[in-house]
Amino acid sequence: MGRAVAVIGTGQTKHGRRDDVCYPDLIREAVKAAMKDARIAPQDIDAVVYGSMPSMMEGVAFNHLYFSEALRSLGKPMLRSETCGSTGQSLAHTGYYWVAGGMAETVLVVGSEKQHEGDAQATMSTIPEPFLHRTIGGAPAAFSMQAREYMGHYKIDEDKAREAAAIISIDCHEGGYLNPYAHIKVRLSKKEVKEARVITYPVRLWDVCPSSDGACAVIMAAEERAKKICDRPAWIKGIGFRGEEYFMGDSSKAVWRSAIEASQEAYKQAGIKNPRKEIDVAEIYNPFTYQELMFLECLGFCPPGEAADHVIKGVFSPRGELACNPSGGVLCTNPIGATGLIRLAEAVLQVTGKAGPHQVDGARIAFSHAMGGAQQFNAVTIVSSEL
Amino acid sequence: MAQEKEQPKTMRDVLVLPFEMALGPTWTKFFEAFKDEKILGTRCSQCKRVLLPARPFCPRCFEPMEEWVEMPQEGTIVTWSYVNYTYFGVTEDMIPVVVAGVKLDGADCSWRARIRGFDIKDLDLVNKKVKVGARVRLVWRKEKKGNIDDIEYWEIIE
Amino acid sequence: MRKVAIVEVQQTPGSESSLNLMEFTYKPVKELLDKVGMRRDEVDTYIAASSDVFHSGMSCANAFDFDAVGAFMKPASRQEADSMWAFHYGCLRIMSGHHDTALVVGLIKGSENADNDTITSCFADPFYLRPVGIQETTAAAMQMRVYLDRYGITEEQCARVVVKNLGNALYNPYAHIKKRVRVEDVLDSERICDPLKAMECAPKSDGVCAVFLASEEKAKKLTDKPVWLKGYGCAMDTFYLGDRDLLNTQLKTASKNAYSMAGIVDPKKEIDVAEICESYAYQELLWCEQLGLCGEGEGGRYMESGATQIEGPFPVNPSGGVLAMNPYIPRGLYRIAECALQIKGKAGEHQLDKKVKTALAHSAYGFAGQCHSVTILGS
Repeated sequence: MGRAVAVIGTGQTKHGRRDDVCYPDLIREAVKAAMKDARIAPQDIDAVVYGSMPSMMEGVAFNHLYFSEALRSLGKPMLRSETCGSTGQSLAHTGYYWVAGGMAETVLVVGSEKQHEGDAQATMSTIPEPFLHRTIGGAPAAFSMQAREYMGHYKIDEDKAREAAAIISIDCHEGGYLNPYAHIKVRLSKKEVKEARVITYPVRLWDVCPSSDGACAVIMAAEERAKKICDRPAWIKGIGFRGEEYFMGDSSKAVWRSAIEASQEAYKQAGIKNPRKEIDVAEIYNPFTYQELMFLECLGFCPPGEAADHVIKGVFSPRGELACNPSGGVLCTNPIGATGLIRLAEAVLQVTGKAGPHQVDGARIAFSHAMGGAQQFNAVTIVSSEL
Repeated sequence: MAQEKEQPKTMRDVLVLPFEMALGPTWTKFFEAFKDEKILGTRCSQCKRVLLPARPFCPRCFEPMEEWVEMPQEGTIVTWSYVNYTYFGVTEDMIPVVVAGVKLDGADCSWRARIRGFDIKDLDLVNKKVKVGARVRLVWRKEKKGNIDDIEYWEIIE
Repeated sequence: MRKVAIVEVQQTPGSESSLNLMEFTYKPVKELLDKVGMRRDEVDTYIAASSDVFHSGMSCANAFDFDAVGAFMKPASRQEADSMWAFHYGCLRIMSGHHDTALVVGLIKGSENADNDTITSCFADPFYLRPVGIQETTAAAMQMRVYLDRYGITEEQCARVVVKNLGNALYNPYAHIKKRVRVEDVLDSERICDPLKAMECAPKSDGVCAVFLASEEKAKKLTDKPVWLKGYGCAMDTFYLGDRDLLNTQLKTASKNAYSMAGIVDPKKEIDVAEICESYAYQELLWCEQLGLCGEGEGGRYMESGATQIEGPFPVNPSGGVLAMNPYIPRGLYRIAECALQIKGKAGEHQLDKKVKTALAHSAYGFAGQCHSVTILGS
């Protein structure tokens, strides 16, 4: 199955509101940090992968052209991948294929977003089909409808789901507090979460991710080079990607096939038979607390319909059996084009023991994931400290 | 006294791009049927599923969907949400809105709908009336233009 | 490295279509699958190439493209860039060993979006270039000015490219603009951006190009005339025009890498035909130099020699090129498809008389060709 590929360095910006830098400089910050972490120079990079959400978000078309210097891509080949919210993971997969395919030894992968420079909701409002769906609901409505469909499908008591979602919110915000890169830093009580302002019922203010500026860079290398220059490579053991139909109502989002099959493909490649036992840390895409319940089931961490029970029992807390989103997750930091890649970077930090204040002790295998579209795409990357 | 650090500047710009999008034969037929107060779905010759809105082809079988089916205008709520925030194109006077996924009788998928017909500003009332599994019925606008707004809203069948 | 072949290709003609983008894309993809003899769900992976908000008015075009390209429940991705990048990515997926078949689709409906210049003005950064009015045409005009001045290339030599390509297009059923024009017609056309004349600028077309890729084993089962990927190179230039020597482009780097991978030492001798991306007429001359087909500054004389005519020793753009057919995103794949057809002997009325064993496909986009990609295909 092609050559083994490892992540040999990662870099992130301080995510949040970054009016202090122009967009190319934001990207430079992450690229510099990644090269420093990997201990390589720009001339060691063979190829560059870049991505972000539709660049109308920041008002510059094909912005990989604008960023060509910040990406150190002069004279180098580039690929620019986009799959909506799952872009960050798709970028990782693009880098992986480039090395596994044998056409590059070392690849720089960068995802970014600078949402305060534009109207993110305005750009996202043109995701739905123009003639039929555009007049109805934005992203929060779509996510809330999924939560409602899920509760209806499994006959889950609304209060129980609310309780589990609140625990997820509190755990994630605690992680964000510890994570030096995270955007939102706030400590919350259950009461505050449950009584916050309604956005799109049942989703309330603290169930929702922020709109962030940020960039993430990851450097991948082929086995031989990784072993030579990196003392703690994070090996990519499995990847998976699946997508459903464009129209959200065409497939169930409670029994979420794309999430189920994407993760199963990654587990198969990684030789993982019992995800909950074998994986130490999971960085799951959770812009909305409720959605994490669906992911915990469809990504194979607990039986269908039982996510809320497991969350309430503490199975998925940072000190639980399977630590979920110790970084604070998407709930604390969401520069969309970078978000999926940040999940991978955080997974890498965990298995290389570099996560600092939010390190999960003894983490060896970590799972990263992202979702895109109106619940349309799911992408997974699994990394391990061992080849 | 320490000198105040100069704040980096920001610049404002507005981009406007015009588009002229073709509906194509499938959606032209679909929307024209609104003028006769008809909802038309399409059925796949292979998997036999009926999809709404009408489609040119079945995304799973990848066969053209050439069989048109006139749909009943009642269905079941599969999911819903109470939208209470503003975003681009949605101003304070337009919210709250109750959006839902509705599966029309005979369809094999749900599609987007707006629920109205009672005081939707009252969240408690909304929670009482709007439930997964509740039945709804289409209410047409009197003046038809042949676009999605011809469907004024969906009302709960008590 | 694992070998990759093109099994079949499918194109649509460039004139305005009344189909909506989804129907417009579905049709050629379905035709391609039928040609190859596979079902949608039998293909291992899908890569789409499109442009979201700026060209199609839709965000996350991947969401919309997904159904139309046939990717339901498949590993897939999208390139927000010229479609030759999507081709490269499809090849990488097969080379990795994870996939044996890949379907790559480039799509756009130029008739639905704003003018090329309106959109490419959005490539410009908001602080320096946009207020000055830099878009692809103004950038090209500046590159053309330097080209004419430094080497004494004449406007008449540039105009000959239009005559050749629009004339070649008469024999290409997929071309958008096709007609017999004279050099005088081109020179007399409006000077929209001096020294560029209106007829020297590519049109805005609708187009979908779909290419079916397979591993060696699979390809040999699916077709008796596989077209092999021999080499690929791509290189990015600086964003700001002032940071470059406009006549010393990254096409040199891209072609050098492609030739090296393909084991080509003398492109003029070892390649039989080239489909290159000449959005502006003078670019065909300049790109020929940068590709090493003629010497530096010799592009004008090379054109005059007749070498690049369809009956010449080194035909360039027998399909009519981008001047005849410009669906902005798919045009890279159209270059590849045309090369594949020439190698397979299936180019119909514009099939070259001589045997085509090796072909070069090129794409470029961005200000004055900020990105260049070169693909070498062989029988």
